[in-house]
Amino acid sequence: MSVYRGFTALMVAAALLGALAGGWGPSPAAGQAAGVFRTPLGGEPPTIDPYFATDFSSGDLTLLMYNTLVGFDGAGRLVPEAAKSWDVSPNGLVYTFHLRDNVYFHSGRKVTAADWKWSFERMGDPAVKTEVGDVVVGGVAGYDAQQSGGGGLAGIKVVDPLTLQIVLNPNSRGGFLNRLAYYAAVVLDRDVVERGGKSWFAAHDAGSGPFTMREWAHNDHVSMARDPRYFLGAPKISGVEMPVVTQAQTRLSEYQAGQLDLVAVPLADFQRIKSDAVMGKELLVFPRAQIIWLGPNPRVYEPFKDARVRRAFALAIDKAKIARTVFFGFYQPAASIVPPGIPGFYSGYKGLPYNPAQAKKLLDEAGMTGKLPPLTMAINPIAGDYQMAAEATAAMLKENLGVDVRLQRAEFASFQQGMNRRTVFASFMTGWAADYLDYSDYLDLLLYSKSPLDRVSYANPEFDRLVDQANAAATDAARTALYHKAEALAVEEGAMIPMVFTQFALLKKPYVQGLQTTGALSGYLKFNTVSIQK
Amino acid sequence: MLRYLAYRVALMVPLLLGTALLIFLAGHYAPGDPVQVLLADHYTPSAAAHLRHELGLDRPLAAQFAAYVAHAARFDFGVSYINPDRRVADIVRQTLPISLRLAALAVAAAAVCGIALGVCAAVFRRSLADRLIQLGVLAGLSVPSFVVAAGLVLLFALRWRLLPVAGWGHPADYALPVAALAAAPVAYITRISRASVRQVLTEDYVRTARSKGLPAGGILARHVMRNAALPIVTTIGLAFGYAITGAFVVEVIFNIPGMARVAVDAILQRDYSVIQTAVLVYTAICTLVNLAVDLSYAALNPRIRY
Repeated sequence: MSVYRGFTALMVAAALLGALAGGWGPSPAAGQAAGVFRTPLGGEPPTIDPYFATDFSSGDLTLLMYNTLVGFDGAGRLVPEAAKSWDVSPNGLVYTFHLRDNVYFHSGRKVTAADWKWSFERMGDPAVKTEVGDVVVGGVAGYDAQQSGGGGLAGIKVVDPLTLQIVLNPNSRGGFLNRLAYYAAVVLDRDVVERGGKSWFAAHDAGSGPFTMREWAHNDHVSMARDPRYFLGAPKISGVEMPVVTQAQTRLSEYQAGQLDLVAVPLADFQRIKSDAVMGKELLVFPRAQIIWLGPNPRVYEPFKDARVRRAFALAIDKAKIARTVFFGFYQPAASIVPPGIPGFYSGYKGLPYNPAQAKKLLDEAGMTGKLPPLTMAINPIAGDYQMAAEATAAMLKENLGVDVRLQRAEFASFQQGMNRRTVFASFMTGWAADYLDYSDYLDLLLYSKSPLDRVSYANPEFDRLVDQANAAATDAARTALYHKAEALAVEEGAMIPMVFTQFALLKKPYVQGLQTTGALSGYLKFNTVSIQK
Repeated sequence: MLRYLAYRVALMVPLLLGTALLIFLAGHYAPGDPVQVLLADHYTPSAAAHLRHELGLDRPLAAQFAAYVAHAARFDFGVSYINPDRRVADIVRQTLPISLRLAALAVAAAAVCGIALGVCAAVFRRSLADRLIQLGVLAGLSVPSFVVAAGLVLLFALRWRLLPVAGWGHPADYALPVAALAAAPVAYITRISRASVRQVLTEDYVRTARSKGLPAGGILARHVMRNAALPIVTTIGLAFGYAITGAFVVEVIFNIPGMARVAVDAILQRDYSVIQTAVLVYTAICTLVNLAVDLSYAALNPRIRY
């Protein structure tokens, strides 16, 4: 028996020792190493392959580790990035980029025009099935042939190692330069990608950005070191620590405790933080290029086929009240679709005002008074904002039009698929944030009849014609005027119902200097200008 | 003993098979299609049919289950539906040790504190110390771990800035989550220790030892504790099960990259392959803990034989 007793004791001791051993390395968030900037990721990044980086965590990492040909500054203006300058042909279809000669991949190899060509061809390669190919290189000559198995992109030419020429199709969408500023339109180090296999990004990055990946501890943190050879000057901070913190409240507590230097403020905490003597001074509030909108789907909900019904729904929703009471006045009621912060914002446009009497009259005209069947409204689950907007909207539609609205929650993947299929949800409450600061990122993507993201099946030839004309316009002013006409048409037909424009609320420690903010993405630009002055 | 051990281990096979069947059927009949999740925006009927065939999802249910069990027996749980580049076995390998370490630390802390407090309360029965300990036990049993966690963060991290709010890896990171997870087990172990020690203290052989003039400490250590140990050990075993499941809350609150937090994320994202594996792994752990507790009976009391 004593042998068994000894054996059991040994087992228990071994189990305890095994459980206790290991993992005593430094915690990324516990203390701040010299010059390390700390800001959280909201979740485990599914990938760091930029061409698949469509979630915020992956996007945040891509932004810091990679480079685009052109970028934008804090005011939303296009600025040179890996290309020092560019020429556009008089017909607006040929772009010639003159590349900087001091851009290096993190592997040490110089970036050349051939790398850009290979990268853009990979982006459009139908075998790779990237998430961003259609957005960035969809208008490049030869793209359709590539989709049919034609190999490379005929429209991209290497003129010499530092000159890249891109030829567009005559009918390509406008805003091409803006789309090149999309954080995912980056150059990749071919050697790293090809050598690393399918999951090449797990151990190395293939970038040329200001920071290079040092460690990716799954579900825990990503740490990055500065690249001293970064072509716009070595970053002033030694690195960036991004712990994965899934709970917004935990992120805020970590900031309060000094474990993080920059965080987003949860909407529910905004008023408290604003009136806090210390944190109120650390608050950064600025417009976000994002709209929360209601999508009426005529394919599923028969009454929405009549534009008068969609318009009635839009008139029956008091957006100002939702902005004031549901979102504490932190968000602004949206009259138009494209938010402030996008160049050409339609600031004078009034949209459809709250007018329940007019809404009832329109329903009468459509012969739908008292006949509207119950409506299901799916809610994007990724943020609480959508649920809050949906609940208020459902109550207003019941009160003003007598329609029963049932709210439907789905997990994010199912919600995305349901929207994309177009035959699943009768309506949905969701948002759209700018990937790049251009009108086309909204109207062209969300409502043009041939866009894969036209989830409300808006197929108005007049709207398409206006967008086509805008894309072919000779000047920015003419382009904006045509886009405004298209936008007003879509709003007044209730193609999509704009609810509110959102804002960013970030908390930044006072010792962090030089942070550049933007209305796009997570609200900040690359951290190469940031310094820590304690 | 060896026969008993073999019997208990053999008994685990049908238990784990039953669990696997239940979670397999739940995954199969629950809303949502893994093929849709994997293909996301690249979904087309032909791509879906191809992938369905590749994953074996077009085979009869029994054949799918048999394949699932065969793979699971080799610790091959497939890929995560949300992050298809990651194998579930790798996720388990990276995150399970963290959860086990957290649970082991919590149980170890709870055992030390609980036994000490329980013995103290039993020895000094009806004293002020006993009453204070009983009050603490009541609080420990009544207050849920997420409330304890919030209170600890508020005081120790935000107000006094003594410990980190969240994180994992640095020794200081361990204090608050271990304390939050240990709070209820401390109460349980204290209560059981007090009752058990109290009962043994009234036994004739203890009175005899006292009358022989043996020192009180010696009586407690050599006679009382040994005979009072069985229910205490049982409670510690149960506490380990509590700590493993309690980690689902604590790991989320303290942002610990353990398997419990990954499982919670998987549930929120309907990542069925991760959910199924987490259930299977936790079932196996709880079964093994129960077995270890049963075996420890024999180790502690020679009169118990299997």
